Amino acid sequence: MSVLQKPTDFTSDQEIRWCPGCGDFAILAQMKKLLPTLGIPPEDIVFVSGIGCSSRFPYYLETYGIHGIHGRAPALATGLARMRPDLQTWVVTGDGDGLSIGCSHLIHALRRNVNIKILLFNNQIYGLTKGQFSPTSPQGLVTGSTPKGTVHEPLNALSVALAGKATFVARSVDTNAKHLGEVLRRAALHRGSAFVEIYQNCHIYNDGAFDYAKNAKIKANHVVELNHGEPLIFGTEQDLAVGLNGPRLETIKQRGGEWADKPLIHDETNQDSSLAQMIAQMRHPEMPEAIGVFRAIKAPTHNDLMPDQSPTTKERAKRLKKQLTSGQTWTVA
Amino acid sequence: MTYVVVEACIKCKHTDCVEVCPVDCFYEGENMLVIHPDECIDCGVCEPECPVDAIKPDTEPGMESWVTLNAELAAIWPVITEQKDAPADAEEWADKPDKLALLSRNPGEG
Repeated sequence: MSVLQKPTDFTSDQEIRWCPGCGDFAILAQMKKLLPTLGIPPEDIVFVSGIGCSSRFPYYLETYGIHGIHGRAPALATGLARMRPDLQTWVVTGDGDGLSIGCSHLIHALRRNVNIKILLFNNQIYGLTKGQFSPTSPQGLVTGSTPKGTVHEPLNALSVALAGKATFVARSVDTNAKHLGEVLRRAALHRGSAFVEIYQNCHIYNDGAFDYAKNAKIKANHVVELNHGEPLIFGTEQDLAVGLNGPRLETIKQRGGEWADKPLIHDETNQDSSLAQMIAQMRHPEMPEAIGVFRAIKAPTHNDLMPDQSPTTKERAKRLKKQLTSGQTWTVA
Repeated sequence: MTYVVVEACIKCKHTDCVEVCPVDCFYEGENMLVIHPDECIDCGVCEPECPVDAIKPDTEPGMESWVTLNAELAAIWPVITEQKDAPADAEEWADKPDKLALLSRNPGEG
């Protein structure tokens, strides 16, 4: 089968059922631009999803897709990646699907370094069910199910991924086309579990949640772009930076063209994820929020670690039978 | 796929569409707006906003030349991200046919 070359070749015939104006369209557009550049035939690509608005993603791409059960996309994708390492497997999930009901599946897929690419569309709300608070809703958010505002601290998606020892961790913004396209490309090329959080605007139930990171007039002062080997400098005048003061990150300011305190230099290859955790936890408005690749390290994948246990070998049935009938087994009369 | 601005916009140039576009892909000429086909994410939020029905999906028949024109003009016109007043005589031009000859290729203010 020849490799398709145009974004439109990856457009399926399904009618899109997202609300007009949804950030999901922006992510889909970038994915359609990326896929033809990977040199992978569409029949060798699979998108696995769970439940939620984001999980309609597989319908709209002319690849294979599985609309799975709630929160279980990483588990389904783990099985697929185990059995069919020749395929490129993506997972599309949301803040509800991935961080509420499916949070454990997510963490363990990452921990195992299964060769899958996980995209988590974070809109800080349950959109499909019409606007209840989600695990990432900011404290105090008034929603249909929290008329007096949410009371709990939100989960930080990247903190969860880093705690799960993910070997590739990144964040981008739905409408930041160029940045998102590059982050998706990096994720696609990563060998092992890649985790990408995408800030996604739900303009029906949580409009403007990420305005500080999307509005062209103000975002430069609220977002710092991570680039490997480069300082964490931001601001419309490029005179602000993130620095390390003892055990804390803080915003520092350039004075007279000089940095009194040294800006932090980003190292995405650091095996120790402590600094990545600190950068991930920077929150608006106290600090700029970071986008880009937080962590990209090389490590053996799940399949690498189990080369002689391939379930595809003919020996499997024999081994399984032997295992099941050995040791502490008995027959119930 | 992309949405495109067609003939009905010429000399009407309402800018309701600009206000709702999540990716700021409208570009302003002197008497018309266009959509950048490579930046449009096909979300469709602008289509019903247009008072003169000048925004169409490129999947409709006869849109090829409009896609080309939108792409060509988006490359040379400034981006417009905020709504502004329509021309004073916009209403008079709303239903007039054959406006293409009146299209100005001069850039707008953006």
